[in-house]
Formats: sequence, structure tokens, C-alpha cells
Amino acid sequence: MKEAKIDAEGKTPREVNSKLKKLAKEYDRIIIENPNAMHYLAAGLTGDVEVIIDGSAGYFAGTMIHGPRIEIKGNAGWFPADNMTRGKITIHGSAGDGVGQGIYGGTVIVKEDAGSRTGEIMKNGTIIIGGNSGFMTGLYMMGGQIIVLGSLGKDAGESIIRGKIYLRGEAESLGKNAKIKKITEKEKGELEKILEKSGFKLEKAEYDKFKKIVPRSRRPFYGKEVEEG
Amino acid sequence: MCGIAGIVYKDGKPHQAGRDMTKMLHALQHRGPDSAGFSIYGGLNLADDEYLLNIEIKEKKGLLKKVKETIETTTRIKSEEKIQSVENYIIYRCKISLDSFSQLKPLIIEIDKIEDVTVLNGSHSFEMIKDVGSVLEIANRYDTWSKKGTHAIGHTRFSTESIVDRYHAHPFQSYIIPDITVVHNGQITNYWKIRDPLERKGHIFETTNDTECIVHYIADKLSNDYTLEEALEQSVKDMDGPFSYIVGTPDGIGIAKDQLGLRPGVMAEDDEIFAIASEEMALGEVVDTRHIEQIAPGEVRVYEI
Repeated sequence: MKEAKIDAEGKTPREVNSKLKKLAKEYDRIIIENPNAMHYLAAGLTGDVEVIIDGSAGYFAGTMIHGPRIEIKGNAGWFPADNMTRGKITIHGSAGDGVGQGIYGGTVIVKEDAGSRTGEIMKNGTIIIGGNSGFMTGLYMMGGQIIVLGSLGKDAGESIIRGKIYLRGEAESLGKNAKIKKITEKEKGELEKILEKSGFKLEKAEYDKFKKIVPRSRRPFYGKEVEEG
Repeated sequence: MCGIAGIVYKDGKPHQAGRDMTKMLHALQHRGPDSAGFSIYGGLNLADDEYLLNIEIKEKKGLLKKVKETIETTTRIKSEEKIQSVENYIIYRCKISLDSFSQLKPLIIEIDKIEDVTVLNGSHSFEMIKDVGSVLEIANRYDTWSKKGTHAIGHTRFSTESIVDRYHAHPFQSYIIPDITVVHNGQITNYWKIRDPLERKGHIFETTNDTECIVHYIADKLSNDYTLEEALEQSVKDMDGPFSYIVGTPDGIGIAKDQLGLRPGVMAEDDEIFAIASEEMALGEVVDTRHIEQIAPGEVRVYEI
């Protein structure tokens, strides 16, 4: 495995990202040292490369990536993985608002808590939150799945259109067009598989606590209301 | 955008508040290039009847003399300092004594009547430093590095609602009760609805800046026996728009965030320090950020010493 390092100290996000894109063509793993919660790290990065951010990242970490596996050793600010199409971002600490905003695919994992509007307008892909997720989680969600091991803030699943929010804890309140359903044994098995793979080890009995938030209607804003199956 | 920051040293003793706040604001410089400001509490050590005035004066013959004469109609100037600012202005700082706090605002109004003169603030328990330019320029101009304090709030300004000058730099101060200051990121969209009842009560507005509206609102609530936490909680219900703001009082600091959480705010603490800021990179200058907390929509946090 070929490994390279970038020291972000004293550099602009543009300088770090330019260097990262050049190195990504030659190296398998790139470590960004001294990120100091810098914004836009790894923005628009493509290809099969591993990026280790050795500390915290700022806003829009890994925005619009297609393929890379990014590990953030600290926390992330607002909108990590925004509009990602393929790849994986793991945040070892907590994250700000809009985790996985608008993603089309890939996986985002936050080991601790996330802020508000997690998974806002996501179309596909998977978001896993190890702790709690805040206000309006899944806002205008259009597909994919959010898995939350803790609890949800107010207005969970606000105006959800498609997709599922799996929840181990409780939701403070549900948003418009959201309803809670029991999960099936098949879904429990799938949750176990994906959580084990993502580094979350739960007792078997814990999977019985999960429920899901789904859309109440396929057409909540206009036309004839149709109950989700 | 704007960047906001606050720090409290939990032991209640003076620490390097100026240095730490300078580093926090420098880390937030990208959020606001226009101006910056500090309220550093607990380092002035004035006698009970003493106040520090910060006055912006254009460099014009006889103007400083006129300002001094105006002050001396009310009280004696006990000590003074001149700081060279930009655009042909000096900042004149002087220490005065007053029989009561109620004399402070009328004196400021008298000084403000002089053309090309603006009183930036008058304080007892905190030092306000605010000016146009970058954080480091201001820090070096006023030597914020050496200022001590028990707690501080600060701001980097990206102007959206009013002109860029020293007076409109944050923090803003209210004179309803002593030494209440505010730094703010965002907009108050029901500004007139908040301002109107305060003016009817007799509170004087100097600008149409929404941050001034917040500081009078909070000072009014505190003067009506609300705790800082209660005042902040009520403000979140009463004020519309996207905002997060930090209040400084002689006893501590507090943050409030709008109900939709449209402006950022994060917090971290250890055994020595409680810190809040717009972004983690500012917290990282003063405290271990392995564990930070997002201020949730509609949430308030207060730390008093």
C-alpha cells in the first residue's frame, strides 16, 4: 500500500484539496495532518482512495465525493458527505447539521451525536448515527435509509417522501407525513449485518428495540393521498 | 456570516482572556472580514464609582479639547489614553467617576452631540475593544494580547444590515443596566416588533442595527428580574429569523440559537474553561475539542461564575 501525507497547517483548503487530488492518482492512502477543522476537505474527490483526516474537519467534508473512503478521526462540522454519490465517510466524533445532506449513494457513519436535519433531501445511500440525531432528521427524505442508535429530536421525518429512518431510541415528535411502524425480522437481520460491518456491536435483544419512521402518504402535498404499503 | 465566540474561566480568576479571544476570533476571520470586537470582563479593576469611556474622535484641531471640556462639565478625567486608529481617527479612552450609573448615558448623549465624535461605549466591569479591519490588526492596535479577564465575548463581522464602521462593529452595549453586551450572527426579522415596546418603555436606540435591538431586549429582561437563562429562553420565543448570539454580563456569558437552528453554534468545556463559538476551529484554540456539543435549534446555554 502506497501512503502519502499532507500537512494542512498554514495551507488553504484549495491548496490541500489540489494536493490531495494529485496524490490520489498515485497513492492508495493519504493522511491529512493538522486539519484544524478546515472546511471543504476532500471536496469533489473521486477514485478508489483512502483518506485519513487526522483530527477534526469543518464544513462540507467530503462533499460530492465519488468513490473515496474517508475517515475523520475527530469531529465534523456542517454537511459532511453533502451530495456524495459513492464512497464511505466515517466520523469518529460528533457531527454538525446536515450529515449526508442530499446523498445519492454511499455510506456515512457518525460514531457519536449528529446535529439537525440529518439526511435532509437524501435520495439513496445509508447514514448511521451512533448517538442521537437532532431536529428534523430526514427532512424531505426521498430515499435510502438512516439508522440512529440513540434518539431523535423534534419533527423526525418532516415531510418525508421515500426512504426509512430506523430508530433504536425515541423521537421527541414526528414531522408532517411521518409515521412509526414496527420492523420485520428480515429488517432486524439487515440492521445487524450493516451495523456489525460498520463497527457497532449490539446485543441481540437491542435489535428488538428498533422501529422505523416511514412516509404516511406517497403524495402528501398534492393529488390523491396514497397510503404507503 | 459573522463569527461569534465566548469564553469563561471557571475559577472566576483573571486569565489571558484577551489573548485567548484574539486566537478564537482569528480562527473565525473567514466568517467576517469587515470589523471585529471584544468585551473582556473582569480585568479593569475599577473602583465602584469609576467608568471607562471609549470615544472615537476625528483628527481635527480642537476636537479632543472640546470632548474633554464636555466630560469635565460632569466629572473630572482621572486618567486618559489615546490610541491611533485608521481613517484619521483616534480612540480616546478616559477613566471617570460618577455618583451613579444613571449619569452615564446622559453624559454619553452630550458627548455624542459633538460633530465627528462618537462614544463607542462606557463600561465599569469590562473593556470593549472594537474597530474596523482584521482581527490581528485590531489585536496589535489595541494590544488585546495582554488583556486579562475572567470571561470574554467576541465577534468578526460580515456586514449585512448596516454600515461598516467602528460603532457598528460588535459587541453592542445597553445602558438599561450596567455592562450588558451582545455579539450576534444572523438577522432578527421581526426587528420593529421587538424594538417598538422597548422604545415605548423609554429605551434609547442609537441605530437600526438588529444587534442593538437584542442587547436592549436582554438588558430590559434582566432589569425585570429575569435570570440570564430565562431572558435568553424568552428571546428565542419572541424573536424571528436566523440567529445565534452571545450575551456577556458581569457574571458570565450565554448563547441563544433560533428555533430552526439556522446559524451555527458549538460548545466545549473542560475543568478550567467553558467556550462557545460559531465553529470548532475557534474552540480548538482554547480547549480540548475531542468532545464538542452542537447548540440545538432553540437551545440556550449559560455559564456564570
